[in-house]
Amino acid sequence: MAFLEQHIHEAPTSFWSKYVISFDHKVIAKQFLWYGIFWLLVGGLMAMMIRWTLAFPGTPFPLIGHMLFPHSGGIVPPDTYAMLFTLHGTIMIFFAITPILNGAFANYCIPLMIGARDMIFPTLNMLSFWFAMASGGVLLASMCLPLGAAAGGWTSYPTLSTLMGQPGAGQTMWLVSLFLFGISSTMGAINYITTVITLRAPGMDYFKMPLTIWGMWLTAVLNAIFVPVLGAGLLLLIFDRVFGTTFFLAGAAATSGKGDPVLFQHVFWIFGHPEVYILILPAWGIVSDLLSFFARKPAFGYKTTALSMTAITILSTVVYGHHMYTTQMSPLLTQSFMTLTMLISIPSAVFYANWLGTIWKGSIRFTSPMLFSLGVVFVFGLGGLTGLYLASTSIDLYLHDTYFVVGHFHYTMAASVLLGGFAATYFWFPKMFGTMMDERLAKWHFWCTIFPLNGIFTGMMLVGYAGMHRRIYNPFIYEFTQKLMPINTFITLSAVAMGLAQIIFVWNFVKSVFFNKEKASDNPWDVGTLEWTVPSPAPVHNFDEIPHVKCGPHELGNPNLTTGRDFQYQTEELVKA
Amino acid sequence: MEALLLNVVGKLGPAMEAPLRLAVESMSFWERIQPPEDITTNGHLIMWLFNYTTWVNLFWFALVCIGLFGFSWFYSAKRHKKPLYTHGTDKQHYMITAGIGVLVFLSVDMVITKVSTNDMKNVFWQFPDQEPDIVRVQILAQQWMWNIRYAGADGEFNTGDDVVTNNDLRVPVGKKVLVELTAKDVIHAFYLPNARIKADAIPGRLAKIWFDTNKTGTYEIACAEMCGAHHYLMRGVMTVLTQEDYDRWKSETEKIAIATNDQESPDLRWGWKWGNF
Amino acid sequence: MSTTAATQQRKFQSYVAMTVALVSFGMLFAGLFLGYFLARFNAPVWPPVEIENRPQLVPLLSTLLIALSSFTFWRYETGLGKGRMWLQATLILGLAFMGAQWALWGALARSGVLSVNGMISSMFYAFTWLHAAHIVGGLAALGWLAVTPWTETRTTNVGKFWHFLGAIWLLMYLMLFVL
Repeated sequence: MAFLEQHIHEAPTSFWSKYVISFDHKVIAKQFLWYGIFWLLVGGLMAMMIRWTLAFPGTPFPLIGHMLFPHSGGIVPPDTYAMLFTLHGTIMIFFAITPILNGAFANYCIPLMIGARDMIFPTLNMLSFWFAMASGGVLLASMCLPLGAAAGGWTSYPTLSTLMGQPGAGQTMWLVSLFLFGISSTMGAINYITTVITLRAPGMDYFKMPLTIWGMWLTAVLNAIFVPVLGAGLLLLIFDRVFGTTFFLAGAAATSGKGDPVLFQHVFWIFGHPEVYILILPAWGIVSDLLSFFARKPAFGYKTTALSMTAITILSTVVYGHHMYTTQMSPLLTQSFMTLTMLISIPSAVFYANWLGTIWKGSIRFTSPMLFSLGVVFVFGLGGLTGLYLASTSIDLYLHDTYFVVGHFHYTMAASVLLGGFAATYFWFPKMFGTMMDERLAKWHFWCTIFPLNGIFTGMMLVGYAGMHRRIYNPFIYEFTQKLMPINTFITLSAVAMGLAQIIFVWNFVKSVFFNKEKASDNPWDVGTLEWTVPSPAPVHNFDEIPHVKCGPHELGNPNLTTGRDFQYQTEELVKA
Repeated sequence: MEALLLNVVGKLGPAMEAPLRLAVESMSFWERIQPPEDITTNGHLIMWLFNYTTWVNLFWFALVCIGLFGFSWFYSAKRHKKPLYTHGTDKQHYMITAGIGVLVFLSVDMVITKVSTNDMKNVFWQFPDQEPDIVRVQILAQQWMWNIRYAGADGEFNTGDDVVTNNDLRVPVGKKVLVELTAKDVIHAFYLPNARIKADAIPGRLAKIWFDTNKTGTYEIACAEMCGAHHYLMRGVMTVLTQEDYDRWKSETEKIAIATNDQESPDLRWGWKWGNF
Repeated sequence: MSTTAATQQRKFQSYVAMTVALVSFGMLFAGLFLGYFLARFNAPVWPPVEIENRPQLVPLLSTLLIALSSFTFWRYETGLGKGRMWLQATLILGLAFMGAQWALWGALARSGVLSVNGMISSMFYAFTWLHAAHIVGGLAALGWLAVTPWTETRTTNVGKFWHFLGAIWLLMYLMLFVL
């Protein structure tokens, strides 16, 4: 297939066209990044309120408690608590992680790393951001309603999420917000998939793409297929709430209710399980690349890593029932889901072996992107292994809906993705903004984050093992959880510590974007992928001339190189070892 | 830590003093993180599998950590100046990677799958409905309490003489208890920490769960599915009595039920015919 | 690069993008189909009482209208933009389809298929509302084709979407009204 080069457009000049309504994937990426960081802070604040209530029930939330909750003396009331954990989950998943990993980094990296000038549909790209903004606006608005925002858990199971359980407009607006967000995601997915398939520079075969692109591409495939299924579920619930249908209403006092609440769970988790892989695949791809870059040797088993990620993507579509074991589906269905879920261990073990193989006999430079990548290896290992307990139907009888689950998914979804996102930010910052982030502050950020992070989520798994169930406003009322209070307090204190550590990052980020005078070089990390062949920050049109790719993305440490560098750019002819 | 917690006591009032003291009271960390006392004959199956999984997980995670920390130490740029240029595509490399994948699957996944399947098939899904001497209970979960129903003297559910309690489940030690479970309004989940089991109570559906106890005492019932702002208040109590105490309680409450049940009240008839929803 | 190679490349790009888009739209409807199948195969008796009298004439009319509109659009596509009347005919048939849907909703309510009757009845409405919303989008796209100069990719893409909606309607018709 001949390669169709994208035109070089005239660079935008006005503030409006440069920073607001921009069609440039790099600007849109930065918009998503700021958007995601904003929501990360909002979601984080909510987490603090939740943790405060769990550790110190009955005490007013410090500093802003009295302002936010005047009628309860500054103490978080139970119905607000329900709203807080609902919105914390929703915000972190859809408004923080997805915009940062999938909105920002996918948008930024895909064209640059495959040698294209922009995404294939820049207008669609721009619309995708504004739909995300609209979605965020609706959610923010829902928090200002008199009856409050959604409070049925981020999974919003009916019948709690029907009008019967959640009166008022808050839950409906939550549903609309997520539907708009789904449109944004799907638009992005169409763009990413088509761009990777059709705009790779000449010579960039699929197996010469950086693993970051593999991660992003597989994510987009899952997004395209499964986000609409969530859309269907959301619509049905909206119809129940607004138009009087009875899909999910059963046994409810108000109607004869011949619907089935479990139907929602099926539809939700058919989306929900691929969703968690949507959240982690970008980070896996990024880490796979960064480990190679900073160990100064090729990614170990590149092809098998790419194929493992693909296998996991495919398998992720048929395991969703493990979220529903306690709904007592038929034994055949339950067994099948357990067996299929277990299969995911094999490709996971393979790419873990490859990750370790990558740093084995390397020459490791402990830069901040590398530290965070190594951090991902640790936390995802822990988190992934704890998934095995939950995959077992019998163990799940005990652990379902306990803090063990919360610990598990935070390790895999929050810790791994967050650390991966930080790695990505520190790594691509010079290309995005033209300066380096302060490396010393970055290292402080890492060490001040990694320890409390483990404190929080290991603590959660321990209290979950001890049986403490989740979404509980005041654990004190149960005798079997009273002895866990000091551990809960420890978790909260760790959360505070981790929260404070993020100030280092935010300060470093803002300082480096706006106040850093020292320009970064074209290739500060000495790495050969295509984005490092252009100046920092990347010019509007990316490449003056479309590159011709001649070797893989991880050509580092080749002993026969004569250029004085220890790596090859992807545009250089491969030097045989 | 203690000062912090004791500070909380003042705010929560005298009702919270006892639990706070229990929380603060010296207990080793290991004791604290133990699950609640297992009072059933089958709970140990779940814990055995949990422990096995923990051991194999620790083994594999230790290997990951040895790789992660070991390689970071020995192969830092300072210590190891020349990296090994390999793409990991030698036959040997594929064998090792594949081998690891297979070994992980065999040692962890296959065992868990097999044991879990056996436990579910042979124990947890073996509902004792055909057995002669079991205790049958119907539980209707609602926001925010547990409605519990016994068949009463006539042995039929949803009749005028049923013994109905709120949040108060009483069972005799050593006998199997079979619970039919549903919910009135939203999804709840009946959770017995001391039995290591739970089942979702879904409006419009009938769930079944069974257990048998081997120790008397009072134990807690909790709701394990988000059911509204007061989900945390859905605490029930299960009292496991000796057979005599249970029989005495049963006959007493049955007499009271026949005498005082308000036959006109529709609230009395929230139950259903056993097995038929 | 020669214009034919460029055109070929553009066609391929369009093809990939439309395929992904149609997969996404398809999965939206698939979510509903899944719900319908689950409800249907768990229903104790089929058809349930509340849909026994579902209308037959109006949905048949809708099916004929949309099938015809796919035919007219196909004629427009193969005519390479010359026969504008085929495009206009498609638009008119599309609008007529919407009219038939409006009549269908009335007919459904009169025949006792009401959303409050439960999941299956609700499905009739969920499907037809969702489909109609997409038809509106499709009509807008057809209108856009009518007021802009002809290009092959644009026409093919809109055609794919329009035929897709026709195929979805056919499935819906068979599932909801026939079987």
